[in-house]
Order: sequence, then C-alpha cells, then structure tokens
Amino acid sequence: MAYIEANGLTKIFTVRKKREKGHLMREKQQITALDNVSFRVEEGELVGYIGPNGAGKSTTVKLLSGILTPSAGTACVNGLVPWENRKQHVRDIGVVFGQRSQLWWDVPIADSFALLRDIYRIPLSSYTRRLEELTDALQLESLLRTPLRQLSLGQRMRAELCGSLLHNPKLLFLDEPTIGLDAVSKLALRDFLRHENKENGTTILLTTHDMEDIAALCSRVMVLGHGKKLFDGALNDLLARYDTSRIVFVRYDGIVTLPSLPEQCTLEQDGDGYRIVYEPAQVPTSVLLSSLQAAGPIRELTAQAQSIDHLIAKMYREMDL
Amino acid sequence: MNTIKLYLHSMRMLLKSQLQYPASFIMQTLAQLVMEGGEFMAVILIVDRFDKLNQWMPGDLFFFFGIMSVTFYLTECFGRGVTGAFPGMVRTGQLDTLLIRPRGVLTQVLCSAIDPRRISCIAVGTAALVIGCQRSAVQWSLLKVLLLGESILCGTFLILGLFMIEAVFCIYSVKSVELVNALTYGGRSACEYPIDIFPRPLRFVFTVIAPFALVMHVPAAYILGKPLFGWPVWAAITTPAAGLVTFAVMYAVFCRAMRHYRSTGS
Amino acid sequence: MSSYFSVFRMRWKMELQYRGAVIGGVICQIFFGLILICLYRALYAGKPQTMPLDSVVTYVWLQQAFFRMLLSSDSELTDKIRTGAIAYDLCRPLHLYGYYYARIMAQKLLGSLLRAAPMLVFACLLPRGYGISAPVSVPAFLCAVLSLMSGLLCVCALENLTMGFTMRTLDARGMQALMNLLMMTLSGNVLPLTLFPDSWQRVITLLPYAQLLDSPIRLYTGRYAWTQASQIIFLQAVWLVILIALGLLLWRANQKRLVVQGG
Repeated sequence: MAYIEANGLTKIFTVRKKREKGHLMREKQQITALDNVSFRVEEGELVGYIGPNGAGKSTTVKLLSGILTPSAGTACVNGLVPWENRKQHVRDIGVVFGQRSQLWWDVPIADSFALLRDIYRIPLSSYTRRLEELTDALQLESLLRTPLRQLSLGQRMRAELCGSLLHNPKLLFLDEPTIGLDAVSKLALRDFLRHENKENGTTILLTTHDMEDIAALCSRVMVLGHGKKLFDGALNDLLARYDTSRIVFVRYDGIVTLPSLPEQCTLEQDGDGYRIVYEPAQVPTSVLLSSLQAAGPIRELTAQAQSIDHLIAKMYREMDL
Repeated sequence: MNTIKLYLHSMRMLLKSQLQYPASFIMQTLAQLVMEGGEFMAVILIVDRFDKLNQWMPGDLFFFFGIMSVTFYLTECFGRGVTGAFPGMVRTGQLDTLLIRPRGVLTQVLCSAIDPRRISCIAVGTAALVIGCQRSAVQWSLLKVLLLGESILCGTFLILGLFMIEAVFCIYSVKSVELVNALTYGGRSACEYPIDIFPRPLRFVFTVIAPFALVMHVPAAYILGKPLFGWPVWAAITTPAAGLVTFAVMYAVFCRAMRHYRSTGS
Repeated sequence: MSSYFSVFRMRWKMELQYRGAVIGGVICQIFFGLILICLYRALYAGKPQTMPLDSVVTYVWLQQAFFRMLLSSDSELTDKIRTGAIAYDLCRPLHLYGYYYARIMAQKLLGSLLRAAPMLVFACLLPRGYGISAPVSVPAFLCAVLSLMSGLLCVCALENLTMGFTMRTLDARGMQALMNLLMMTLSGNVLPLTLFPDSWQRVITLLPYAQLLDSPIRLYTGRYAWTQASQIIFLQAVWLVILIALGLLLWRANQKRLVVQGG
C-alpha cells in the first residue's frame, strides 16, 4: 500500500452570493474546489504540486493534513484517514504554510520550539538531538535567542521549517516555502530539503509557483487545474510535450536587410540583432540557418530553449486554465 | 496533567511576549482599572441614592457585583482565546496551524491567548467582594469558602460556554455576533444584580438559557445568609453545576461545528 | 465642499451593507435597555425619587437609541494612524481636520440614525412604565433636537481632539479605551446623570460629555424647561469653539511633525 492514497477526493464549498434586488433570500452558489482527484505517493518520494492560483492545491494539502473534511472521496495517509484520526495523523506530519507562521511572534524562537516540544510530547533526549541536528543544517544556532519578529524573511522560513520538523515527521507538506526569498536563501532551502528527503527518508509534497524549485527538487510533478488532476509524471515528460519551440538570437556585421524567413517563424528586432522563434518540427534548423546566412555575414548566433515559466504558461493556456 | 502543563507553559510565554511592550501594557491596564472602577462607582452611586434594592442591602449588592466581576474577568483573562481571539483566528487562517498539531482544538485555542490587563478588573471585583462581605457582616465557614470557589469556577466555565456560541457562529461564518453579546455582556450587566429583582421573562433567560443565576446568585445569596427563594443549602451546592452543563453542551456543539470548518485563504 | 459630502455618502453605503450587523446591534441594544429599565423599576419600587420613573425610562431609551454617537469606533482611522497610511491623506488636497471631522460626524450621525429609528419605534410600542414617553411639549421637542445637533458638533470636535492625541502616541488602544470610558460614564450611559448625587451633577452637566445626550434628553423630558434652551445651546457653542480651536492647533502641530518624520 502506498504512503498516501487519495481516491476521488472532492471538495465543494457553498458560497452565499450577495443578495440581488428583488430576491428575498440570498442565492447559494456551489464552488467545486477539488473534483474527483486520485493519486498515490510512495514513501520517500519528493513530489511537486503545481497549478495556477485557485486550482485546488491548498485544498488538497488541507484535506491531507486533516484541516478540512472532503465532500466525497477517500484518502489514507500511512493507514489513517486524516480528518477522522486527526490527532493521531498529525503526529507524523509537518506542515509549512509559506504565508502563515506557526511560531510565536514576540518570543525567541528557542522558546517557541520548547513549547512545540510540549505540544508534540517529544521526549527531552530526542528533542535535544533533533534540535541540534536541525539548527546545524539550517544554520540557526546564532538566532535561537532572537524573537521571530526580528528575523529576516529567509531566517524566518528556516525557523518555520525547523519548527515543523522537530517532531521528526514522516511526511512534510510545504505550501509555497520559497515565496519572497532571495536567491541565496532559496538555494540553501532547496539543499536542505533534498538532504532531509535523502537522509531521513521524509516524504515531501511541495506546492509552489516557482518552477525552479520543482526542477531542482522533484522527480515527479502533478499538475492541477480547475480542481482536476491534469498531469502526473516526470517533469521532463511534462516539459517535452510543450517544449517544442526554440529561440535564436542573431547579430550581423554591419547593417543588413531584414532576412526573409519561412512563414512559420516569428521575427522581431532585439537591440542591434534579431530574435527568432521557430518550431524545429515545422522548420528544420538547417533551413532556418541557410536563410539567415543568405541575408549577410553573421557575427554572433545563440540558440536556447523556452524558460520553464514560459512552458508552464503555455501549458496552462493550452489546458484552458 | 500534560495538558495543564502545556497551558501553563503557553501562558508563561504569552505573558513574556505581552511584557515586551511595557508602556502600552501599563496604559491599557490602567484604562481597564478605570473602566471597571467606573462600573463599581455606578453601583455605589445607586446604593447612595436608593439605599437598598428589595431585600438586598448595599453590602449584598457589592458582593453580587464583586462575584460577577471577578468571574467574568478571570474568564476574559485566562480564556482570552475563546472570549476574544477566536474570530480573528478563523479570519486569518491561524486556526489552520492549530489543526495540524496533535492536540485538541479547544485546548490550543485556550493556550493561544491571555489578557493580563484584566488583572486590574479582577482587583476591583475582589475589592467589591471584600467590602461587600464586611458591610453585610458575612459569617464565614469552610462550606461558604468552598461555595464561593465553586461558584467562581463554574462561572468561568459558563462564560466560556456562552462565548463558544460566538465561536460556532464564526466557524459557520455567520456574522451576527451582536446577538451573542446580548447573552454574554448583557448577562454580565444584568446579573451584577440579584436575579429576583427582574421580571419573569428575564429571570427565565438568565436561569435557563444563560444560567448566571444558578451559578452565581444562588450560592452568593446563601453566603450572604439570605437564601434565594428560601432554597436550602444543598441547592446552593448543586446549582452551580449548571455552568459545567452549559460548557459541556457547547463543547459538543463546537466539536461538531469544527467538522464544517472551511479554512479560508490559500 | 463636495468631498465632505462624499464622506457621508460612502458611510451611508457602508452602513447599508452591514444591515445584518445593524439588526443584531439593535436587538442587543434593546435587550440592554430592558435590563436597565427593570433594574430602575425595582429600585424605584423601594424608594421613589423626585425625578419620576417615566423620565428615567425615557432617559434610558434615548441613551440606548443614540448609543452609537458615544462610541468612537472608527478602527479604520486608528489603523491608518498606526500603520502610517495616513501619509496618503496628507497628500490629498483636503483640509485634514475638516476631513476627519466630517468622517467622524458621518459615522456618528448615520450609524445612530439607522439604529435609533427601529429602536424608538419599539420603545413606543411598549406598555407604560416600560416604554418611552412623549416629549413634554412640542417646543421642548424641537429644542431637544436642536441641542442634540449642536451637542453632536461638540462631541465630534472632542473626538477629533483625541484622534490628534492618538497620532502622537501611535498606540491608540489605551488612550481610546480611556476616552470611551469617560464618554460612557460622563454622558449618562452607565447611569443616568440625573441619578448622580446632586452636587456632582452641577459639575458634570457643564462638561462637554453631558452636552451630547444628557442636555437634549433633559429638554425632552422637561427636566430643563424649554425656555432654558438658549442657555444650553450657548454652553454648547462655547465648548464647540474651545474644542475646535484646540483641535486645529493640535492637528496643525501634528502635520508639521509628520512632514518632518517623512523627511
């Protein structure tokens, strides 16, 4: 049996609309946040979970962490139904909400951790060991006596991570953990997550809008849109589907007339050169090159693939999200 | 036992964080003192003008005022999570972070806020109690001391229970908290005075729906040596349990409501 | 001038949006009124006073109906001050003191009218001894309305002055709690001023707090003869001038300080 098994998870919210003129009662509107979503996650996997805003990512995380009860469907995490055995279930999970703190604002973070020890009933010896391990890996030793409110965003996120891993959870949910972090903090955070996943075998489910997080960390990615699961598989497979076009930058010696290109290419001026987007499947690269050379002496030429963000945007467009 | 330890630990920490802003804290504590002092002054002025209220002498009225004040503000001080912070926790989604921990929701809500400024209100209430006892020349016995303690303890549970109605409304995102205020703050204002001065409908409200009368007035009247409606001593011992019943009922409702909790925000 | 009116229009829309809260608030306030009336009835049963019971009951209902005029509860404004968002308002081509005066006035006037109407209707329907009684005479009623209006002007000036102090201390909560409390006690909401010891009344009725509701109610119930109205309105006018002058001074000083802080 897989570590997480979700079958036909559905969540419908009833929203009361604003009362319109002439209507005595307010109308109710049903919003399907999650529509019949099924998946399995094995122990030790590091899965990325992406989708545009409002796709139902957070709802999934909230269902699997026992905060919400689904309208239909079942889920089983490590043999437990999250919303029925909440207390027992959450003992083995950690959750980090990127935009919501679970530590105490005005007290040193060490005090917050000590209180978490009481909440999770962690024995002192294993708590000390684990705290040392985490503060080492997250470089928190020097910050332990500092109140949360005085920490920078990156330091705060490290403290949050430490707080949610103190009780050694087997499963970690991360909801947009890198939001607003600078490059250094982001890289350090990714290193830590990879380490935590490899060394402790922690299963990690990562929700994010940052595709680089996914590319750097996840072997598997799930795409959600309008509450439905649209893709589940390796990131490379997903990208291969949409990674069909290439971009070429070309600069000529001196001023030349505009090169005449096959119809399917788009061309635009870019500084003192040109930027060409084409699909190798339609226009073979050799054809493009020879028509570029015909226009005059090329000084410089670079070719590159579309960025992941572009690909995902394209994917969302094509999936009509 | 572990839960109590957790609660005490939380309170210590919250107190520490409140004292990070001493100037604001002192200012607000003083404001609270003046507020409750003003309420007490109103009772003193009434006594000054009217001498008595039915069979209740000035000392008795101070005693009734004191027992309500001490109980109500003890609850607001130590139960701040339920009496004040809960709606905000639902609105901001802070409740989510409580749900991902292996403890009861109510325990954690109670552990998440304290209002030490109320200490000055409690002090005013205590003063009223002491003055009341002296002026009414209360004959203390061990039973009466226990009865007072029981009444205050059950009273805090009653008030917590009433504020939980508001919490339940919040979970279902119903916005009419003002109606609940009629029971909680209205109950406090009304039941600063003994129940038997009110006409029947109000007596019904504060005996059956929000049983302040059973929890506070019956034992208080016995302590003052003027048993309410001539009820015997065992009535004074048993009726405060109504507060525990209210709490238990509301706790059950609260747990059911939590299943319908719809966490907001992403 | 039109910008001051738009403040009123916006407030009116806001009040209508929260109809649910208004209905709940009215029911709660009626309940409080009933509790107080039962208390005074019981007290009067023991020892009647020179002031008739009906007047006390009327006093209570009018206090409850216009309760909204007492509380300063514009949390948006205090938040603005705390977070520094008030800097935006400084950039607007408005006279700040006047703008906030209009805001406070809109909130007090519209908020309480919406609540007072249903409550007073309810209070009229109650049986004698529980319900509100009619004003002693038509001129008395007109004088009461007039002095309520000028009392309102006074209180808005008073609150704007507090707001000015709040801008200095930044943490508004302590200050506001204190002001609200003075307002509740000294305007007769906690205990009708007519039941205060007579010697106290002589001083309290002169304070600006008493101008808002106590004076109009006394005119309404005939405690003050309507021929005295000119004296009352004169007193209110004196307070109005003093409070507005102080407020203007304070706000001007604040504005200078804010500009300095902004660099």
